[in-house]
Amino acid sequence: MITFGNFSQAAALFFTLLSMGLLLCGLSRNNVRLVQAGKRALISAAIATTLASIALAYLFLTDNFSVEYVASYSDRALPLFYKLTAFWAGQKGSLLFWAWVLSLFIALVIFNNRREADDRNTPYVYLVLAGTLAFFLFLLCAVSSPFETLGFLPRDGQGLNPMLQNPGMIFHPPTLFLGYIGFTIPFAYAIAAMITGNTGADWIRKTRAWNVLSWIFLSIGIILGGQWAYVELGWGGYWAWDPVENASFIPWLVSTAFIHTAIIQERRGIMKVWNMVLIQLTFLLCIFGTYLVRSGILQSVHDFGSTGLGGYFLVFMLVAMIGGIYLLAESYSEFRTPGSIESYLSRESTFLFNNVVLLALAFATLLGTIFPILSEIVTGNKITVGQPFFNQVNTPLFLILLLLTGICPLIGWRKASATNLKRNFLGPALTALVCGFIMLAFGVTQPYALLAFLLSAFVGATIVQEYLTAIRSRKKLTGESSASAGLRLLWKMRRRYGGHIVHFGLAMMVIGIAASSAYKLEKQGTLRQGESMSIGDFELKYESFRQYEKFNRTIYAATLGVFRDGNRIDELDAERRYYINAKQPTTEVAIRSTLAQDLYVTMPGIGQGNEITLKVAVNPLLIWIWFGSFLMVIGGILAIIPSRRKAS
Amino acid sequence: MKKSNKKVLIAVLVLLASVGFLIYRGLANTSVYYMTAGELKTSTLGRQLGADQTVRVGGLVVDGSIDYNQRDLSLRFSIKDENNPQEVIDALYNGAKPDAFEPEIEALLEGTYDRDKNLFLADTLLVKCPSKYESEQENPKEARQ
Repeated sequence: MITFGNFSQAAALFFTLLSMGLLLCGLSRNNVRLVQAGKRALISAAIATTLASIALAYLFLTDNFSVEYVASYSDRALPLFYKLTAFWAGQKGSLLFWAWVLSLFIALVIFNNRREADDRNTPYVYLVLAGTLAFFLFLLCAVSSPFETLGFLPRDGQGLNPMLQNPGMIFHPPTLFLGYIGFTIPFAYAIAAMITGNTGADWIRKTRAWNVLSWIFLSIGIILGGQWAYVELGWGGYWAWDPVENASFIPWLVSTAFIHTAIIQERRGIMKVWNMVLIQLTFLLCIFGTYLVRSGILQSVHDFGSTGLGGYFLVFMLVAMIGGIYLLAESYSEFRTPGSIESYLSRESTFLFNNVVLLALAFATLLGTIFPILSEIVTGNKITVGQPFFNQVNTPLFLILLLLTGICPLIGWRKASATNLKRNFLGPALTALVCGFIMLAFGVTQPYALLAFLLSAFVGATIVQEYLTAIRSRKKLTGESSASAGLRLLWKMRRRYGGHIVHFGLAMMVIGIAASSAYKLEKQGTLRQGESMSIGDFELKYESFRQYEKFNRTIYAATLGVFRDGNRIDELDAERRYYINAKQPTTEVAIRSTLAQDLYVTMPGIGQGNEITLKVAVNPLLIWIWFGSFLMVIGGILAIIPSRRKAS
Repeated sequence: MKKSNKKVLIAVLVLLASVGFLIYRGLANTSVYYMTAGELKTSTLGRQLGADQTVRVGGLVVDGSIDYNQRDLSLRFSIKDENNPQEVIDALYNGAKPDAFEPEIEALLEGTYDRDKNLFLADTLLVKCPSKYESEQENPKEARQ
């Protein structure tokens, strides 16, 4: 199997290079058959990477510890499910996963286009895709192969890091990867459009589903990462502005900007150059994200450490960047458009402002992330910025973004009239103000939190108002009931309402983030059995202690009674787990989630006589973050469901 | 240039200026020096730091130096410079001992340094996960023999 894996990898690289050769020849000789052969070679590469992936999975499932990668990330006691997912737990396997998914995506693009005759663009599209694939396959074959052997057979593997034995962590990396990889496709189409000078919105229309889908995967990946940190790492938060987290957030911001201006180009044919820049930036930042995690240049709680791959990624990024800038400069004149934004009170201009803010957020986050490196280059001293920097800079920017999110749907394309504006604004603005006053009455005085609530209410109200108006006019037109008019509207105009649902989810997330960061309660304490501690309205009583074995771990659990107003309303089990093969114990978080707040308990220590140390927090409205993010994903999916009458 | 374009341009410029201001202010307010334990003790820059100036310091936890009082949640330990192991700083952190905290592990502390007592008062304590995601310092070949 090891030879088979190595062979498949090498075959994949061979087919990819072959396809690049065929495509280049086909282009220079204007030969359609060569281009067809190039596509077939790419499909062969996809089959070969699939076989290599099956080989690696097989090695994990059969506990073949003579393979270095398997020995490092698995052991006999590991549950079957985690044996499979250990595939991408480390650097080398995740690289293979990356190449595999990219090759499948390429095959999917070829399959999707099977009925369409190739235009001038397509050979270039496949050429760019093949080039990217070749880069990853080269790394796999020449630098960092997961099929490397130890030269002997150890009795057992080292096991999977217990912190990675969690469903959130299992799906966090692959979804993030799917997002990163997905943006390769619009990037390839953009490059092809620049080479051939096809300046229309054609490439944007063709890749819209890829864009939004990649964005959805990126969002899910980021959210799962936050959720994993929250329920598994046990430091009480979901986001710490850690370099590795930022690495995924920066491309998310830029791709969000791109998705918005892509709509403008589709509708108005302007901002062509800008979109070219944004999609290239997104792609580069995706690669940069993978680079950052593997380079070891930043101090992060969770990176791969220095892997010796950094240099290769830097070179790849430089090539892509210089190539992109060159092509843009070459084709700049063709991409310039006479059209312009007609009024500062138009939807286009709110999109433009939204772009400025999103890019500013991306820039500030990037700057903060690499500041230690920059400052060392400039001053010779390492200067770091931590969470306070990101919170201080990004919070106001996010609030502006939220305001724009609310204003945007109220303003029409091209130019909005003043009376129109007044009529549309009145309801939402009043709702927001009333919400603000209610919050004030409840004692919310922290200005950012208050603003966040107010603006979220504004965004929510604009969306609801727009939806209700549309339902009313549809009822008048068709005579349907409100419910059926509402549902039909959602389905018929799913692209628009998908977007609205995403924004609604965003507003919910903001409420959760603002409440849980501004009004979080935290406490630490050490209890003997029978003692209790209080936090907020809650009282926690240490009732009993037990110890038991399960699968590959020993568990120490303290049962805590949760009391409110003297009544025992619930109980929580705080756990510490000692995994076989792991040097240190892990803390298992106990959470009591309600709509109003999360009661969050970890047990960082067990002392003599089973005396326990507890870290307790109350996070108000935290669950809203997960609800909101769920809505964002649903909205995104709704927006890209293709219509049945496909333009053929 | 059309009038409307001008207005849009001005709005964008105002936006950019405020972003610049936010970033500048953020950097001025929140940036802290990072140095290794040895640099904090001996370098010129380290010596210039005031006793109340926040700084981030990194080093390895000295074996045998860990003194953890679970009842009071106070953790005393020493860190040494990775490259100059003779440079040692004592540290005090009031909080629960992190799971991964153990001798010879890389610790990142943020807080203030009392030079006279050679004591670092840490507000935050981060430890690098020893296995990271990649077990780099642990060669399986050696570990298994």
